[in-house]
Amino acid sequence: MVTMERACAHYPFAAIVGQEVLKKSLILNVINPSLSGVLIRGEKGTAKSTAVRALADLLPEIEVVEGDPFQSDPHDPKTMAPEVRARHEAGETLPVRRRKVRVVELPISATEDRVIGTLDLEVAIKEGRKTIEPGLLAGAHRGILYVDEVNLLDDHVVDVLLDSAAMGVNTIEREGVSFSHPARFTLVGTMNPEEGELRPQLLDRFGLCVHVEGLRTPADRVEVVKRRAAFEDDPAGFVARWAEETARLRAAIAAAISLYPQVQAPDSLLFEIAERSLAMGVDGHRSDLIMLKAAKALAAWGGRDAVSPADLAEAAGLALAHRVRRRPFEDIANARTA
Amino acid sequence: MTPEKRPHPERRTYPFSAILGQERMKLALLLNAINPAIGGVVIRGQKGTAKSTAARGLSALMPALAQGRRPPFVDFPLGATEDMVVGAIDLEAAIRQGVVAFQPGLLARAHNGVLYVDEINLLNDHLADSILDASESGENIVEREGQSLRHESRFILIGTMNPEEGEVRPQLLDRFGLAVSVEGEREPALRVELLKRREAFDLDADAFIARFRDDEAELAGRIVAARRRLREVFCPAHLSGFIAEICQRNHVAGHRADIVMDRAARAHAAWRGADDVSADDILAVAPMVLLHRMRTAEPEVPPPPPPPEDRPDEQAREEPQDQDSSGDQDDASSPASNTQADRGDPGGSERTAPPESDESAQQETSAANDEVAEIGAAFTVRKLDAQARDRVFRTGSGKRSRSRSACKQGRYVKSAERRDRNDLAFDATLRAAAPHQKTRRETATRDLAVHIADSDIREKIRERRVGNFLLFIVDGSGSMGAHRRMVETKAAIMSLLLDAYQKRDKVAMVVFRGRCAETVLPPTNSVERAAKLLADLPVGGRTPLSQGLETASQILRQVERRDPAALPLAIVLTDGRANAGLGCSPPHEEALRAAAQLRELHPAARFVVVDTEAPGVVRLELARKLADALNASYFKTEDLRAEDLVALAKETQTW
Repeated sequence: MVTMERACAHYPFAAIVGQEVLKKSLILNVINPSLSGVLIRGEKGTAKSTAVRALADLLPEIEVVEGDPFQSDPHDPKTMAPEVRARHEAGETLPVRRRKVRVVELPISATEDRVIGTLDLEVAIKEGRKTIEPGLLAGAHRGILYVDEVNLLDDHVVDVLLDSAAMGVNTIEREGVSFSHPARFTLVGTMNPEEGELRPQLLDRFGLCVHVEGLRTPADRVEVVKRRAAFEDDPAGFVARWAEETARLRAAIAAAISLYPQVQAPDSLLFEIAERSLAMGVDGHRSDLIMLKAAKALAAWGGRDAVSPADLAEAAGLALAHRVRRRPFEDIANARTA
Repeated sequence: MTPEKRPHPERRTYPFSAILGQERMKLALLLNAINPAIGGVVIRGQKGTAKSTAARGLSALMPALAQGRRPPFVDFPLGATEDMVVGAIDLEAAIRQGVVAFQPGLLARAHNGVLYVDEINLLNDHLADSILDASESGENIVEREGQSLRHESRFILIGTMNPEEGEVRPQLLDRFGLAVSVEGEREPALRVELLKRREAFDLDADAFIARFRDDEAELAGRIVAARRRLREVFCPAHLSGFIAEICQRNHVAGHRADIVMDRAARAHAAWRGADDVSADDILAVAPMVLLHRMRTAEPEVPPPPPPPEDRPDEQAREEPQDQDSSGDQDDASSPASNTQADRGDPGGSERTAPPESDESAQQETSAANDEVAEIGAAFTVRKLDAQARDRVFRTGSGKRSRSRSACKQGRYVKSAERRDRNDLAFDATLRAAAPHQKTRRETATRDLAVHIADSDIREKIRERRVGNFLLFIVDGSGSMGAHRRMVETKAAIMSLLLDAYQKRDKVAMVVFRGRCAETVLPPTNSVERAAKLLADLPVGGRTPLSQGLETASQILRQVERRDPAALPLAIVLTDGRANAGLGCSPPHEEALRAAAQLRELHPAARFVVVDTEAPGVVRLELARKLADALNASYFKTEDLRAEDLVALAKETQTW
């Protein structure tokens, strides 16, 4: 498992030039993790991966039960992994550790076993004891699961991911092991559409979808190169120079998180949401909910406690593009709306 | 972390009574809760239409079992292995105590409850078979790993599927009692209310559940009452005849539809609180029973027969009888199954291939300025592979499923002494360890019943049918428009598609015409989509063959990158008259070079060239040169037909 928790130098999120939509969509998911993730479509070399990895530094802290591979929340027995829950019910005071929300990376070559977890064969046959070897989904619970080139993922793994993303629970049913643990994660995927499309079912699982392109103005491009060079020369120094900006961003995110529950949306806007979905001919109702949540998160991010029509318009752009019912072979990009 | 019998993490269930709209789906679920013998529901429809929410909600409504136990809700994970579905040897008991014990699988756990399979169309066939077998017979029969037993397994099977992702075989579909098709709500006010409820649930699930507690209790009470009444519900003889007539008129295969319709109608009557089945009950359930069973697209529901006073059965059925009709009947005469007709149910097309394609031939659509040829009558396709390559591919296919090291899917066929997948064949391992037990026990440090060393470990070898990847590279140029050649070509593609559907292949399609080549269909499992697309495919313009081949190369690269073990089959349908190129050399020379390059770049791919040149005295046979450059098998369109049934049977075996 590749976790990006360690404090090694990432290129700072704040130092990414341009790509405002991309950055905002990621921040919205931090503000409300139930936005169910973002799919980043775009060419190579457009800071997709950099942004996701850098996001790790901006994430808030959570409390977890120390030593629990399933990241249980010490304060919510209902979502605890079975073993921790049993300990809790037995009256044990669970050791608590504070740590940042994690970004767990799912490599393209990951097997189904690695993703969902499996039986520890060694222990099983030599000692006659069944133990679970937790998979990536256990590590990603309450965090961000990052899949680079999600469109190249094996179909099996995609199905398993979908299952867990939909249920919020990962169920292991293999090799005589039957076990389930909560797995709520924000799914962040990147893809280059030239390499093939995603199945509509998976597309729909991503709350938001953004399209990134290379920067247009020469000045911006020069700035990208300059910053990148400066970072590579002296990563620690570069990060330090951006520390203040990073702290500001982190504080703003924290403020938005605490404001979010108070954000209200008037009924007129709810009707607009429904009408937008209908007008675009999207499947099902998931888009409505995502649009509402995204609009609320946008309002919170703007420091407002009421959703404005502009928030909704912006949210619609993020939530509808990939859900538009396409004539089978139209490219998503063509069907995109402003 | 011992995984034994701990409570699973609790999830808060969205109350069934809080689901808005989707009346037909809710009714289908409730009828099954009243009488599980109906045989489950398959819910077809779009993403995000509360399918799984409803299924979960239903299990919360079901009456408690003996000793107040809640009926289980088993969510079938797509990643489940075969052992976990049907059950396996209990490994712990075997090693610790030396006892052969059966460890029950999901089918045992779902007993008396709900088994929910999301995306049942993505499930491996052999797993789907096991589930549906159990669902139908009410018991699970285990004959594997040296175990032989059977246990009860009665459950309500709820499956969901999105037809865009591919269909379920008709035989499997038929095992589901009812089918409903769901769509998103179109009414803005309803959508808003729905949105509000979902948002409220997400914010504070407990409060939301409390808000609907009374409604839930009432609904649960109604189910219990209906279950009790069910035994007394009587179905008048003339209405039994009506059921038979409905089924007959709709050309339903077999008798399951009649049985299910009878059960569902009784459950519906019980649900209404009535003691007798009325014509309305039958009309209300008929569309759900027929949706997935009809051979024709439109269900045809005859008018209900007159009440029994008149005369029993046959005679009076002609005259329409409307006195009983309430809102339900409108429902039935415009059933939701229209949507299925639009989707061009390939289930039907599989069984009745030729007439179906005749029908699609009439679906000629009006395209802008290019000519759109209709699809000629489809035929049964002969095997496309050259004889010599046949065997290579067959074993290759077998090997391919085994060589997928990550994969524990598939049927356990035998075991082998190797270790690269951690897929333990426990029975074989035990057998291998048996002779050493005496000596090992003497030196053992642990007190176990069986001592196993690394050298004993055997792995399962699994076999799984693997679909091929078919890439169609279609010439859409103007020269194809002449002499109905496109009609013939489309018929050929259609036939190949039907064949691909049955073999569950992935397909993709590249069309080259005018100035460029276009990937009209990226790799997909949905052959149905390809078929629909085919109908609208226009012809016209020049023949940029080399670009077509280049685009094909890109797709092959994608496919190979996704699945390095793939053995794609590329089918080029053209007359070979390339007349538009990329560079300055003559287009057809360029095409031949592109072909040679394509072959070199994709050694794993096999190629077939179908020459679409019209039969006649003067044949240029340019496509034959192309076939040589590709090292492809070469057929003329008319050669594609399988000569006779015997040859066909042989060929399909070796495909």
